[in-house]
Amino acid sequence: MKSGRLLAILLIGITIALIVIGTLHPASIAVAYAGGTGAFSSSATPEQAVRNLAGDIRLQQWNHAYESLANKTDFTQDQFQHDLTGYYPSLHRFATLDSFEVFPLHASENNAEVRLELHWSTVVGPSLSNRELKVAKVADQWKVEWPLIKEPVVQPRVLSDDYLRWDVIYRGAGDDWGKQEVDSPHVTIVDMHPVQRADGVVILGELLNEDVVPAYVSVSASLLTKDQSVIGTESCFDEISHLLLPKQVTPFRINFPNKTLTEVRSIRMEPFSSLVSASTGPVIAIDNERINPAPDASLSGQLINESGNVVNVAHVLGTLYDGTGQVIWVVDKYVTRALLPGNPASFNIPIPEDLARKVASQRTVISSFSFGGAA
Amino acid sequence: MTKKHFFLAALFAAAALPIVLAQDASLAIPRTIQAGDALVVSSSGSGNGTLYIVGPNQVLKRHMQPGEAPQIPPGVLIHAGHYLAILSTGSSTQSASFDVMPSDKPTKVSFLAEPSRLPVALHEGVAGAVYVFDRFGNLIVKPTPVTFQLTTPAGSAQTNQVVTRNGAAWTKMNTTAHEGRDSFVARVGDISVTRLVHQVAGDPCGLSMSVHPVGRDLQLETAPVRDCSGNPVPDGTIVTFSETYDGSLSTADVPIKQGIAKVDLPAHPGGVLSVASGVVLGNQIRWEK
Amino acid sequence: MITAVLQLPCVAVTERSCHRQRATLTIARSGARLLWKRFGTAIASLILFPWLAIPAIAQPNVHVDASMPSSPRPIESQTERAVVRDYLQSWKAMDSAFDHNRSDILAQDFIGGAAEQLSGAIKDQSALGIRTRYQDISHDIRFVFYSPEGMSIEFTDVVKFNVQVFDHGRLISSKVENARYLVVMTPSEVRWSIRIFQATQA
Repeated sequence: MKSGRLLAILLIGITIALIVIGTLHPASIAVAYAGGTGAFSSSATPEQAVRNLAGDIRLQQWNHAYESLANKTDFTQDQFQHDLTGYYPSLHRFATLDSFEVFPLHASENNAEVRLELHWSTVVGPSLSNRELKVAKVADQWKVEWPLIKEPVVQPRVLSDDYLRWDVIYRGAGDDWGKQEVDSPHVTIVDMHPVQRADGVVILGELLNEDVVPAYVSVSASLLTKDQSVIGTESCFDEISHLLLPKQVTPFRINFPNKTLTEVRSIRMEPFSSLVSASTGPVIAIDNERINPAPDASLSGQLINESGNVVNVAHVLGTLYDGTGQVIWVVDKYVTRALLPGNPASFNIPIPEDLARKVASQRTVISSFSFGGAA
Repeated sequence: MTKKHFFLAALFAAAALPIVLAQDASLAIPRTIQAGDALVVSSSGSGNGTLYIVGPNQVLKRHMQPGEAPQIPPGVLIHAGHYLAILSTGSSTQSASFDVMPSDKPTKVSFLAEPSRLPVALHEGVAGAVYVFDRFGNLIVKPTPVTFQLTTPAGSAQTNQVVTRNGAAWTKMNTTAHEGRDSFVARVGDISVTRLVHQVAGDPCGLSMSVHPVGRDLQLETAPVRDCSGNPVPDGTIVTFSETYDGSLSTADVPIKQGIAKVDLPAHPGGVLSVASGVVLGNQIRWEK
Repeated sequence: MITAVLQLPCVAVTERSCHRQRATLTIARSGARLLWKRFGTAIASLILFPWLAIPAIAQPNVHVDASMPSSPRPIESQTERAVVRDYLQSWKAMDSAFDHNRSDILAQDFIGGAAEQLSGAIKDQSALGIRTRYQDISHDIRFVFYSPEGMSIEFTDVVKFNVQVFDHGRLISSKVENARYLVVMTPSEVRWSIRIFQATQA
């Protein structure tokens, strides 16, 4: 009886102590999800101020983030939010901030410069963006001056878009042997080249739609030994433009992780194509496309949307050739922001350092998707 | 031969004996009948019995009365094939084989034509195959004349007359030099089946472009894009314009619209402009201004 | 098999009849042992005979002639092997479908007119209480036509097969038949299926 009472008192005492500790020193995530600010949330240093701001951005606490800025009178909260998420539906609009890193660059008594790296998680993979932030001391607190990047203004005007469109009418149901059907588009592999890389075998090549109708395409490959047994079969998902208009060419890259080319005697390529409804628009031009040499070798350029529609998702595919015209690598990247009519959007795609010096020419294709206007 | 082998053999013979005895009398039955005709069976048996007509294509069973001559009325045995007729009475079983043949009159034609879409001026590019059936869906194996005809929208026609072998006939025909939707017809007696074959223009031939300054940009425009036979390349075909300057490159994939493709690219003095479509290269222009 | 039996001692009151019974049993057991020793194979065969006959013809003899002198298109060896393999498989499916009166077994192997006819025959025989078995013994396949676009292959097959007909479980007839079939097969997604399956006059 005595020991039971003692145990109860002990448990109550421990519980109260833990509650007090949790109240005074809460976990930041728990505070944020509870909608509070924490008992000790201070911006005592420039780095802490930037971390607090990034934390608010990650939790989409836009009001709290906006209120913490030193230059909030220069723009509205909506402008600040759209600067990070975009004004139009895009990959970035549906992304979440996965993590961030803060790098102090310069600091004095009342001013500092900090680089904030934002690691976004999009539906097609990770995306990285950087901001160079100025941080100023206001009273006893450090506050961030946000460098707002204003959305380019699209001049209002009327544009007629008369892009050609294909629709497909298939044969009806029922097994009427010999009944007319539409043929699948004719596609052909115009180039194929296997290479050995550190992490496995890679097959590079190009696929041409030699038909007069649009094609949904894909390519798969099987590595075969001397006795025709299959070492592995893979297909190309991301490093290809799946919609090919007539006479359009796409690169492809098929990866075989942990395989070695010495085991391979032959390769069986299987291109796939099927008819799809499609439109020839929008036309996206690529300007100022260049190979930037090592170190930090990359393929860069600018995309210009020459239509009147907003392009919500753009996929850039770069084919790199050596001096003999052979494909030596395929790079790709998604542009996370929407492409506005007439407004250039930059891209920069890293190239493996060991291949960069072999690149003599390149060709870039764009695969795009549009699903609506401004939010 | 050991005693064991002798007993085994005796056992096998004993098991087979009832069946052998049952089939010692054959039915008098036509060797062949035509699909849909009546089948009359003559037998030496009498009394109650059951007539079975068995084949993978059809199975029939008729109970026979005493004195009744077993028969299958017309319109019942319609599927061509090999059948086993079995007459089973209380005392014996008689059997015989016969074939049901398809009728000679074609009623249905299955016409396989490939492809539905192909380039102009292709030697033996269009292929057609035909299977001929009677009114019951049986393949007519008797040689039957078939006429294939490929007609262009302009009215010119290629004709090929063949005869079926084992129920099938085939042909190959050339496409003409002009694009358009051809009519590919297979005719068997009164029956004709039509397929559409779309002849499309080949690869662009003699691809060329011109350049005009428009403000600070250059407007690049192709001449009407045609294949080597003079057929216009279909709208929607992609033409790639490129401009190379100072180690940089500008490109645009532009669809042909009303026979031509055009695009605006930034003007760069000393830039080299080129045009291509698929694997066909066009002319190059160096812009000096 | 006859095994050793535990023998209880005979009780004095019925000892004489007990011994007589035991003697009879002993003689019977000895006789049975002798019979099994001499005729065991025959007895086992008698029991197994109906079932032994079936596995004996499970693998038919197959001869293939793929020369096709007047075909617009030659047949590749891989296609030839696939067609023959799928055709022989179709015979197995047909046998099973007619034996069990289940037309769904034909679904993969027969399409179009052939599927309709065979399914109809199965439905007819099922309604009549009939079962049939078609066990192929040998095939002599001769390819005659491969359509130019590759969408159909035609061949003749002189096939020897055993037909058994059962009416309400009673074997009515068992006969070896010869027939010349004209077969047209068309490719589906994963295999060649029989579209026309028609016996013609030899």
